[in-house]
Amino acid sequence: MNKDKVKIGIYELTGCAGDALLILDCENELLDIFKAADIQSFSMAKSDNIDGNLDVVLVEGSVSTEREVEELKDIRKRSQLVVAIGLCATVGGIQARFTNPKEWEKNFKKVYGDVKMEHTPPLQSKPIDDYVKVDYYLPGCPIGKEQFLHLFTRIVKGAPPEKYPRPVCVTCKFKENDCLLNRDILCLGPLTADGCGAACISHNLPCVGCWGPVEGANLTSEYYLLKEKGFDVEYIKKKMANYSGTKIAEFFEKIKEEKK
Amino acid sequence: MRIVKLKQKNLNPFLEVISENTELWAPVRKYTDRHVFAQVEDVSQIDVDYTRTILPPRKIFLPPSFNMFTATEKEYKENFSHATKKILFGIHPCDIHGLLIMDQFFNYVFEDPYYTQARNNTLLLGHSCWPDEHCFCKSTRTHIIEEGYDLFFHRLSEDYLVWIGSSKGDDLIRLMPDCFEEKLSDEDIQFYIRLREQRNEAFQTEVNFTAMPDLMELKYNHPLWEKIGTACLACGSCTNVCPTCNCYNVMDHPQLKERGSLIHRDWDTCTLQSYSEVAGGENFREKRSDRLKLWYTHKIQAYISKYGKPGCVGCGRCIATCPVDINVKTVSQALDGKDVDAFWNRLNKGEIK
Ligand code: SF4
Ligand code: SF4
Ligand code: SF4
Ligand code: SF4
Repeated sequence: MNKDKVKIGIYELTGCAGDALLILDCENELLDIFKAADIQSFSMAKSDNIDGNLDVVLVEGSVSTEREVEELKDIRKRSQLVVAIGLCATVGGIQARFTNPKEWEKNFKKVYGDVKMEHTPPLQSKPIDDYVKVDYYLPGCPIGKEQFLHLFTRIVKGAPPEKYPRPVCVTCKFKENDCLLNRDILCLGPLTADGCGAACISHNLPCVGCWGPVEGANLTSEYYLLKEKGFDVEYIKKKMANYSGTKIAEFFEKIKEEKK
Repeated sequence: MRIVKLKQKNLNPFLEVISENTELWAPVRKYTDRHVFAQVEDVSQIDVDYTRTILPPRKIFLPPSFNMFTATEKEYKENFSHATKKILFGIHPCDIHGLLIMDQFFNYVFEDPYYTQARNNTLLLGHSCWPDEHCFCKSTRTHIIEEGYDLFFHRLSEDYLVWIGSSKGDDLIRLMPDCFEEKLSDEDIQFYIRLREQRNEAFQTEVNFTAMPDLMELKYNHPLWEKIGTACLACGSCTNVCPTCNCYNVMDHPQLKERGSLIHRDWDTCTLQSYSEVAGGENFREKRSDRLKLWYTHKIQAYISKYGKPGCVGCGRCIATCPVDINVKTVSQALDGKDVDAFWNRLNKGEIK
C-alpha cells in the first residue's frame, strides 16, 4: 500500500458489469492504472479486496434490492468521492425504464409470479443518486475508454473531473456526418450525452441514446419534431425511454397531461 | 490583378503539378449528395460541383479538437502539426469572406498563432459557384470576391478565367506557363458578364441586412426569442457549421504515465447549455432563448457595428443544418414581422398534431 496514492474502490451493483469490464479492457493503460492509484477493491480484477476507507469509489449498476441500498450507503460512508459510472448507475439503466411504481409491481409479477425473494427483497431499479449523494457522473452503456481515462487520470492527479454537458450532435458535426434527423430518421443525438464519438451516426445508424439524456435536453421539441415527421407517438416514447432510466419521468408525465 | 485563361481539361494536370510537394485540400463527395473539404491524394477525387461543405473551411486552420501544447513543470512544447503547408482549392466566395472575417477576429487585439500560422501556410484557390435555394450571399455582399485569394477560377463553358490575386498565385501559374493564355477573346468576356448577371438573378433567398441592427435593438425583448428558445434543441450544429463562428474551450488532459498535461483546444458553441457556465456553477445564459439572442446579436448586429459588415456570409449552412428551422433566414424574416413557415413557428402555434 502506498500512502501518497489515491485509494480507489470499484463496486458493482445491478448491471451487466460492462463498465468494470471496460476498465479491464484498457489493456495498454492497465499497468499504469494500477501504478497510479491504490486500487483497494475491484472484485472483477482481483481477490484480495479491502473494503475500508477510500478516497474515491466508482460505482457501476443500479440499485435494485434492499441489500444494495445498504451496500451503497456503506460505500458512501467510507468514501470521500462517489462517481457513478455507466448508464445503470447514472440514470438507472434499461431496467429502470418503467417509471410508474404500480406498473413496476405488475411487471415484476408477470416475470417472477408470486415467488418470494428470500435472499433480499427486490426494489424497482433506481440510479444511485436516488439513495446517496453523487459527486461525478461518467455516462455510457458501457462507458467509453477515452472519457474513463480522462476522468480517472484527473482523479489520481488531484484535479476534479470535468463535466461533458454536450450532446452527441457536437461530435457528430465534428466528424461531418450528414444529419440523419434532417433525413427524417429518428436520431436521439440532440438529447443524448456525448462521449461515444458519435459512433453510430458515423456508421450511418441513428443514435439510440445509450449515453443517457444530456443535461438540458429539449425533450419536448424533439418529441414534437418526430411527431411532425410522422413517427407514431408510442414508438417515439419507447425510443426515448430506452436509455433514459428514471431521468425523464417528468417529461412522460407532462406528455400524458397534454394528451388529456 | 491579372486575368488569364485555362482550358478546363488542364485544371487537374495543373493541380497535380502545384501540389507535388504540398498538401492539396479540396471539396470531395461524402455520401451521395454531401461534400466535405478533405486532403486529396488523387485529383480525380475532387468534385467542384458542390454548393456547400458540411463544415466550413475554418476546420483546416483550427481543427475542431487539437492539442495546442504539452506542459510540464519544466517544459512547454507547442504543437503546430495542423499548420502544414497547404493549397486549398475549390473554396467559394462566401467561405473566403468567412476566412477574411476570421483573419480580423484572430488578429483583433492579439494574434492567435495557431490560426495565423496555419493561415499563412495555406494558399487559397477559389472556384465559382451557383446558388441553391439556401444561398443568400448576395444579401451579405459576399457573393463576389475582390481580395483574399491567391487564384480564383471562374468556370465558363469550356475554359476557366483565372484571376491572379497575389504574387504567390502568380508563382503557381508560372509552374505551368504554357497552359495559361494571356489573351481573352471578346466572347470570353461577354460570356463571363452574362454568366455573372444570370447568377445574380438565380438567388432565391434574400435577407434584408441593412434593417437588422435596428430591428435587433427594437425587438430585443420580443416574444420571438422565447419562441425559438422553445424549439431549439441546443445541439450546437448551427454554430459548428458557421464559417464565422470562432469560440473555443481549452481543457487540460493530464497524462496518466508521465507528469504534465496535453492542453486541448476544442470548438465550443454558445448554443450549448455549458457555454456560459462559470466557476461555482452559475450560468448566466441558462435559457436557450438568451443563448440564441446572443448568437443573432453577434451575427446580425454587433459585427456590423464593429467591422462594418455582418458576421454572416450568407453560406446557408445554418438553413441546411438546423433540424428545427432556426436560422438567419427565418429569424430575420420573423424580426421583419413575417409569419414564417418553420418548425419552431408551428410548434409555438400548437400546429403539430
Ligand atoms: S445525425 Fe443525429 S447526432 Fe448527428 S447532428 Fe443529426 S441529430 Fe445530431
Ligand atoms: S446510441 Fe448514441 S450514444 Fe450510444 S454509441 Fe450510438 S451514437 Fe453513441
Ligand atoms: S449565420 Fe448561417 S448563413 Fe450566415 S454564415 Fe453562419 S451558417 Fe452561413
Ligand atoms: S438553433 Fe437549431 S442548430 Fe442551433 S442549437 Fe438550436 S436546434 Fe441546434
